[in-house]
Amino acid sequence: MRIFLAICSVVSAALADAPAKLTRDDAQKLRNPVAYTRKSIDRGRVMFLQNCTSCHGEDGKAEGSLIADATDLTSPKLYKSGSSEGEIFHSIRDGAGDQMPAFKSQIDHETDIWNLVNFIRSLWPESMRPAIVVEDK
Amino acid sequence: MSEKPETKTVASEPESRPSRRGLFSSVGAGAVAAAIVNPGKIFAATTPAIPSIRIAKDITDSLAEATKLGSFDAKGGMTGAEVFAKSCKDEDLAALFCCPGNYQIINAISAAGIPAFGGRSEGSMTSAADGFSRCTGEVTACSGTEGPGFTNMIMNIAVAHRARTPLLVLASNVTIATDDREYFIQTGYQQPTTEGLKKYGKRLIAPDRIHEYTAYAFRHLKTGVPGPVHLDFPGEIYNHRFMAESEVKEYYSKEKYRTESRPHPAPKDLAQAVDMINRAERPVIVAGHGVFFRKAWEPLMVAAEKNDVAVVTSGPMRGHFPDEHRLSASLSPDAFMSADLVVFVGQYSMPSKTERWRFHPDAKAIRVNPTGEDLGRNWPLDLGIVADEGAFLEGLASDLPRKKRDAWVGELAAARQKYEKQLLDEYEQGVKHSQATNTVHHAVVCKEVHDFLYKGSIDPKQTVTGWGGWTIGNCGARWLRAYRPGQEVNCPYQYSAVGPDLAMMIGAGAAVQLGVGPQAPYKGAPVLVITSDAGIAYSMFELDTAAKYKIPIICVVYNNNAWGMWPSAVGTPRSMHMYLFQENLRYDKMAEGLGARGEYVHTQDDFRKALKTSYEVASKEHVSTLINVQALKDFTSQKDYPPGNIINPEPGVGALAH
Repeated sequence: MRIFLAICSVVSAALADAPAKLTRDDAQKLRNPVAYTRKSIDRGRVMFLQNCTSCHGEDGKAEGSLIADATDLTSPKLYKSGSSEGEIFHSIRDGAGDQMPAFKSQIDHETDIWNLVNFIRSLWPESMRPAIVVEDK
Repeated sequence: MSEKPETKTVASEPESRPSRRGLFSSVGAGAVAAAIVNPGKIFAATTPAIPSIRIAKDITDSLAEATKLGSFDAKGGMTGAEVFAKSCKDEDLAALFCCPGNYQIINAISAAGIPAFGGRSEGSMTSAADGFSRCTGEVTACSGTEGPGFTNMIMNIAVAHRARTPLLVLASNVTIATDDREYFIQTGYQQPTTEGLKKYGKRLIAPDRIHEYTAYAFRHLKTGVPGPVHLDFPGEIYNHRFMAESEVKEYYSKEKYRTESRPHPAPKDLAQAVDMINRAERPVIVAGHGVFFRKAWEPLMVAAEKNDVAVVTSGPMRGHFPDEHRLSASLSPDAFMSADLVVFVGQYSMPSKTERWRFHPDAKAIRVNPTGEDLGRNWPLDLGIVADEGAFLEGLASDLPRKKRDAWVGELAAARQKYEKQLLDEYEQGVKHSQATNTVHHAVVCKEVHDFLYKGSIDPKQTVTGWGGWTIGNCGARWLRAYRPGQEVNCPYQYSAVGPDLAMMIGAGAAVQLGVGPQAPYKGAPVLVITSDAGIAYSMFELDTAAKYKIPIICVVYNNNAWGMWPSAVGTPRSMHMYLFQENLRYDKMAEGLGARGEYVHTQDDFRKALKTSYEVASKEHVSTLINVQALKDFTSQKDYPPGNIINPEPGVGALAH
């Protein structure tokens, strides 16, 4: 695990952060610098479990509705603040609508927000998901 | 504080109330904010002819009465209620909070000399008992009358259940003779009503078994994992007269009906735990409420310092490991992800890896619990140990080798520095929002409370605090600190009930007033609660109770004119009205009407002054104050007022649930 964390730190350091202030248009143009790999999705899942399940549920379907009228993450067509990878990143980092808080103070590196974006996209219907990038061994 | 309080009750002090004349002259006057609704004739106490609020002589006389335990040698022998009260006294029941009803039982308990407090609603009194226990670790009782009084307690019993509070719930319940007949009023089946909300419960149906079931109750309250115990008393039980001890079945002393023996860790389990901790690079102990209830903070400290093990507290109270300690991880949330061993000790409400906990799922886990049936639930374990928390920690303190972990300690420090910077950044944003709106943002409220309690002239360890509410609660919890056992009550822990906060903290205030357990060094100090306008509606009348018993509490009400969940209506505008209150309601005026002080503030400076004044009055005159802090509902949303509301995952400061 320490090695994994070290790799994350290196990757994080190598990737430039997105601009501090983003409009929705800016966000739409952003591209995910982290490849849609199994490793990234797994890391994103850890982030998701730690930060997102109280509103969006373990499976992302937001069926509990305990503390917010949250979006069903498995249906990108229902996303109120856009479903491009940049828009999802923007929603997580800076908050979305009146209910979703910004997570930039809780998720240490933007790389991890991108990992979370990849995990969220893995919840989509199969036909809408990106193809997994297989890493060289 | 832009308006001078003008209630004449203040100026025309009765003999039994502390003077506040001097206080208000120092507060000063200001212009009434234009937007404030004039409460007008609601508070007719401005008319000099109307008598002042005061504590009745009957109350002070009653409190001065000598105690009187029942005796079989008395002319009429002992009633069932007196037998029960004597057993409660023998068991050191710490306090009773109640409303009238269940008369024979509450009268007997009070007569026996157990501190007793009568309040304004059964639910709030239940939470007051809960709060007393959360900051002392002691068994407390609550009581209400059968039927409506009892059902008023349900939400608050559920709160205590999720927090594993050793709460003795008492209620009268008509008579056995009228069972199932829908006879007269207040009939109800109580035990099924508390199903799922208690550790143990019993409707007493045989008078001569009253002591036997008292023993059942205290075995459950004082052994294993605590939780509420509910006894309901039909009239035949509490009114039964016993002329001799021999008429009461199984009338043994507590030494014979329960044991103080505790499970100690098996030597091989302890050795394995010591080995795992010693081998780990970044071990962390999650010190749950079991550590507090077992008063095991000293061996926890020794064990942590001996081996440089990080500690984070979790549960319905904080302080059993001090926040300022170099090994405290409570303010270092970003460090959790690199912990490679988590040791749960007395964590009664277990999270799972698929919930909002910050540890890495690959971290190894040890869990220590006083009973075995819960080990392995939710969180897969590398080692499960059945042991009393104190016994386990004493074992660790003894057997762990001395070790330094400079890298780990440095990581904790860096994470803390980052977290504190985040808080300051939020505060800076809050200052701007406050100045732009002529109101007070929640981050500003909480930072001011923090600086006043911990950075000023008051001993930072002195004041017991609690918090509730949504936007303000989540923020307040990030700023409140705990430097000694029982210093912070996490009112919404793991149930998130809206509203018991003030009542819970009045119970905590009673514990401080009496100097019970860890509160002894701070006996008589004020307590402080941060809550919301939504929450205050549920227990505000208990300010009367605080005034009656001279329990000094400073109640900060974040008045944002709305339920915290108002954003849930944003997508359906026709629903919004259901989420909003009238704007600029004056909770300070309502507090004055209940015999407390009221302060109205809408600027940061005024809030700072109000805190100072309120604390002085609370300390010197034992008078409570409600500070109505005007805010905006829109501060909850990050859209226009970043960062908005921030939710805090467990464990550590700010967390209310997993």
